Amino acid sequence: MAEEIMRVIIIGAGEVGYHIAKKLSDEKKDVVLIDTDPGKIRRIGEHLDVQALLGSGTSPQMLRTAGIQEAKLLVAATDSDEVNLIACLLARSLNRYAVKIARVRNQEYLQEQSLFSQDVLGVDLIINTQNMMVKTILDLIEIPGASEVIDFVDGAVKLVSVLISQDSPLAGKTLRELGTHSRNLLIGAIVRGHRIIIPSGKDTIHPLDLIYLVVKKSDVSTTLAHLNMPTQPMKNIIVVGAGGTGMAVAQALDKPNLNVRLIDQDGEKCKSAAVLLDHVIPIKGDGTDRDLLQEENAGDMDLIIALTGDEECNVLISLLGKELGTRRTITRVSKLSYMHIVSAIGLDTVINPRMSAARAILQHLRQGRILSVAPLREEQAEAIEAEALETSDIVNTPLSELNFPSGAILGAIVRGDEIIIPRGNTVVLPHDHLIIFAMQQVVSQIESLLTVKLEYF
Amino acid sequence: MNFRLVAYLVGALVFYLGLSMSLPLAVALYYQDGSAAAILFSLLISCSAGGGIFLLTRGHENFHLGHREGVLIVTLGWTAAVLAATLPYLFSGTIPGFTDAYFECMSGFTTTGASILKNIESIPPAILFWRAQTQWMGGMGIIVFSIAILPFLGIGGMELYKAETPSPVVDKLTPRISDTAKALWKIYVAMTVVQILLLMFGGMSLYDAVCHTFATMSTGGFSTKNASVEHYQSIYIDFIILIFMFMAGVNFSLYYKLLKGNARPFFRDPELRAYFYMTGSLIFLLFLDVSGTIYPNLLDAFRYASFQVVSLITTTGFFTADYEKWPAFSQQILFLCLFFGTMAGSTGGAIKIVRMVLLVKSCYLEILRIIHPHAITVVKLGKTPVPQTIMRSIWGFFLLYAGIYIIGVTALTALNLDMISAASGMAACLGNVGPGLGSLGPLDNYAGVHAIGKWLLIMAMLLGRLEIYTVIVLLMPIFWRK
Repeated sequence: MAEEIMRVIIIGAGEVGYHIAKKLSDEKKDVVLIDTDPGKIRRIGEHLDVQALLGSGTSPQMLRTAGIQEAKLLVAATDSDEVNLIACLLARSLNRYAVKIARVRNQEYLQEQSLFSQDVLGVDLIINTQNMMVKTILDLIEIPGASEVIDFVDGAVKLVSVLISQDSPLAGKTLRELGTHSRNLLIGAIVRGHRIIIPSGKDTIHPLDLIYLVVKKSDVSTTLAHLNMPTQPMKNIIVVGAGGTGMAVAQALDKPNLNVRLIDQDGEKCKSAAVLLDHVIPIKGDGTDRDLLQEENAGDMDLIIALTGDEECNVLISLLGKELGTRRTITRVSKLSYMHIVSAIGLDTVINPRMSAARAILQHLRQGRILSVAPLREEQAEAIEAEALETSDIVNTPLSELNFPSGAILGAIVRGDEIIIPRGNTVVLPHDHLIIFAMQQVVSQIESLLTVKLEYF
Repeated sequence: MNFRLVAYLVGALVFYLGLSMSLPLAVALYYQDGSAAAILFSLLISCSAGGGIFLLTRGHENFHLGHREGVLIVTLGWTAAVLAATLPYLFSGTIPGFTDAYFECMSGFTTTGASILKNIESIPPAILFWRAQTQWMGGMGIIVFSIAILPFLGIGGMELYKAETPSPVVDKLTPRISDTAKALWKIYVAMTVVQILLLMFGGMSLYDAVCHTFATMSTGGFSTKNASVEHYQSIYIDFIILIFMFMAGVNFSLYYKLLKGNARPFFRDPELRAYFYMTGSLIFLLFLDVSGTIYPNLLDAFRYASFQVVSLITTTGFFTADYEKWPAFSQQILFLCLFFGTMAGSTGGAIKIVRMVLLVKSCYLEILRIIHPHAITVVKLGKTPVPQTIMRSIWGFFLLYAGIYIIGVTALTALNLDMISAASGMAACLGNVGPGLGSLGPLDNYAGVHAIGKWLLIMAMLLGRLEIYTVIVLLMPIFWRK
């Protein structure tokens, strides 16, 4: 069967739209991008192999020109909720079968579940980067010491990334040595500078490596303690930036047993924060002001979360915090090109709204029984959670006989309550959950390995 | 200032007050206690004086009632109503002196319950009924009552309402202010009827039940017995009165919302919670102090401790025990009760829980700002932010309250009253509670206070009932300028 090339229409060439367009175009999809800003359209035309159209996503004529009738997927990713929703509504009337993904930020819309149902707007997936970032931040607070936490198998298994310090007991050891003395320790990927390594037993862990561990939820704290990572809960937290995300984080942290401060320059925002929050103390001031951070005792804080709208400021805030002695920092950075620089200068955790959005969209697009996809650092690699189907190639064959692409590793098998570290003679059974680490280039081979054979007939 | 309009409305108020004397008149005729003539005479004088002024000044139906007129009408209306209410006492000869009669009436209308009468049981039933009735009318507010029945007030009613019920958070429950006033009075009447029935079920006569209910629902505290509620020696009656005293101390607009089927604001109300916990903890402290010492039986200790705390914190002033025989700590707790008061929008008096809560929060935030100089703080009641203007007015109220209290106590001691009596008596009158400590305790009365002292206390009662600003603004020269 000849594979039909999938046509994708993306509305809005902002940060999220650009990024998804790039991602999908890399995966050999036909991407059409629509935006009203000529400058953005020009930039897209210069950098990406996609069709960039100048016009409004809420114009039916423009959608027809973009080929909505043949499109399989429409992603509405502008900054305006209203434009996104209307684009979905139009797409629904022009092509009933297209999958529609909309970025929606207004919490009031999000609460109206019926609005998105097939009867009204027919939105298949709602992307809310703010909620995703809030969840990411809360996960990181829950597991101190982790740079990134990704849930698999509904949170029963976690993918935790940890920055290896100079004095870590892991530094300088090969994975094979580690495997012998702790069976719970499974390293799925190593990020070293720009490179991402899907490790084999011979690889050595270096200081300043970022390692991705697959851990059962119940073992997280013992594993981290084993790695000399701090495990005491974070109680003293400074949040800088009282925008949507900052407020949502502060609201989640508004508990009497936590000591949380919310810093913002805008007096009105501080005031509305003071109205909304009972225990968090809103402070008016510049987060990049060293004196203010000192006054608020940043040196003794467990965590600074920099969430202002200005990413350069966020980096500076986190650096100041580090300099004053804050134990950990979480920094919001939107530009992907900054991300590796930021970890190079020693900031432990960087969160990126676009990464979250891309992750959700990719997950939706994957074929087979892929349940979850997590792009790792700069998206050179992915962590994929999949269910092994009875009729797929991967089951009932010992792994050593399987044609597993190099550049991919079956990181772990989750069978019931158990996490199995696969060896050459391990056999995957139907309904096992598999956690696979794969370099970007081999993702499609992994997909076909997981897909039910019947689909090809 | 539209004086004609002020006279017009005050006249109407006095006229209606005169009409309300028909109730004690009926009681007098039923009991044949010999006070019928005095009451009838009072009724006629009040109605003709009030009605006369009303007729003379009419022709202003298209009036504009401003904030200043509102304040003047309320203060003057109260003064005039109290004046008219003294007539039955004076004509029947129960209280011969004008000062004493005015004191008793002011104490009634402001629901204070401080009395100059020595032997209550010797007074004709109709006069005692009138005494209880003044409390019942004053409890919900005679002005709120007028707003309910005088449809022509229109928008001006809101000015009057704000002047008489100056709670920090004004709830306009219905689009029309007269409907709000009616709704509040309906709830008040309904609760009164229920309490009367429950007290009669406990063996009280209809007359006693009505009089005690009037004094309970208004948080007044006038009893028809010398020994107050202690007279009945009944746990059931103690309990019913305790429950209704507590309920009268709840903001009546919460009941309105509850009746509208909206239970959430009722149980979530931060002031109600504070009221509940404050009362509960004071009862607990008092219970610890009196159990084992005064009352060997724990149940007795709880019964008397809870009744006394609720009676004083709701500013009612009933008693079931001579608490002056209790230990010093117990007396101190009861003394504190004289200041706290009930919820805003209830029939109780004193500083009010909501103000105390907001003041404490405001103080806490001031201290917080010393630690975090750049912190932005907002005083909140539950989830609602309290505007700075209201916070300022609460601080002002608190300072005025404290200032008036201190000056009052000082003046009373200058009139040869001992310190405990002066301190507690002033607190009890300013807070509209009634009985104090020392020579003004539950078994004593205010008869022995010097005449000047009585007028001071009368002033304190009115200031307390109208929550200071409404009265004190009249003393400002700027108020009278064009």
